[in-house]
Amino acid sequence: MHVKAYSGRKKLNLRAAVAFGLFSLANGSLAFAQAPTPFAAQETMDIGDEPGRISTEEVVIEDGPYKRQLVSFRSSEPAGTIVIHTSERFLYLVLGNNRALRYGIGVGRDGFQWSGLVKVTRKAEWPDWTPPPEMIARQPYLPRFMAGGPGNPMGARAHYLGSTVYRIHGTNQPETIGHAVSSGCFRLANGDVIDLYSRVAVGAKVIIRHAATL
Amino acid sequence: MRSDTCLKIVFAVLFVGGCSSTRTEVATPAVAIAPAYAVDGLVGRWGVASYRVEKDRARTEAMARTQCRLPYVITKGPSDGVMMHVADDAQLYELTLKGSKDGKTYLGFDAPPGDPQDREILSFSDKVVVMQYANPETHARYGTFIYTRCA
Repeated sequence: MHVKAYSGRKKLNLRAAVAFGLFSLANGSLAFAQAPTPFAAQETMDIGDEPGRISTEEVVIEDGPYKRQLVSFRSSEPAGTIVIHTSERFLYLVLGNNRALRYGIGVGRDGFQWSGLVKVTRKAEWPDWTPPPEMIARQPYLPRFMAGGPGNPMGARAHYLGSTVYRIHGTNQPETIGHAVSSGCFRLANGDVIDLYSRVAVGAKVIIRHAATL
Repeated sequence: MRSDTCLKIVFAVLFVGGCSSTRTEVATPAVAIAPAYAVDGLVGRWGVASYRVEKDRARTEAMARTQCRLPYVITKGPSDGVMMHVADDAQLYELTLKGSKDGKTYLGFDAPPGDPQDREILSFSDKVVVMQYANPETHARYGTFIYTRCA
């Protein structure tokens, strides 16, 4: 995977992920699955957020499966719906006529993957970021609040999902696209999330699917 | 967790932070003079927030005031300084204020003012202190810090 127009430092700590677990609660029932999938069997990144690292809004995934591309996608969902396949690391924007725009994404790491049906309740350009207390404990020199900007781990755009703590957002770590690294949010390269942002309206339906195999 | 239409679960948020930096050289004024402010004025509990563009300054200061639930605590050091962090290092060090001949005030180690690990004090009062890293690369990453004193 090549990342275009990336400037910044790499701090990669890779480990093989041979299995992962997930919880999902749909219609009041709790579901648990633990199984490898073809995509999950790839390496999973063990990498923390790097606040202050710069990634510009021009960064896109330039090639490989995670490059933004028009694909055939059979779905009865209306155009404008977002369908996320967590296990595959893909986000589909339904275009209608069995077509979709497919974006490569980074997803929640082990234990932070989920499924559900939500709506985009808010959108923001260069969203602010508040490091969680656990991160402040590890990196006490961090500001407790960082206004939006190129060094912000939230990246160039954010789509807020329902009333949850989860978002579809950009990143200042574009090399993490295609990996399970987050705390449940879905991240795209900045250039790609800007493209998505321009196509998605507040109120858009978002379906998060996780292929739980036994 | 708050529920939405069908979504029912939120997992605890846990980030494993990591951050390091590359250093670039900056010009350093060679001679330190008495600082314009007393370093003891930094001692206390502070809400800390950062911004990059001026339009965000006012709301960043407001956000800093709300961060006292997770304050940055500055204590007096064993010598004449205060115990604080430098960029990208979780260890506490004793830092002090240093004046420079060009009228600026820096916070940092006992080194010439304007050292790459210094912060430049942009404004200093009992309630609010504004500073930024002297190293342009570090400043570009973290922006300008606003410290607001907690009650």
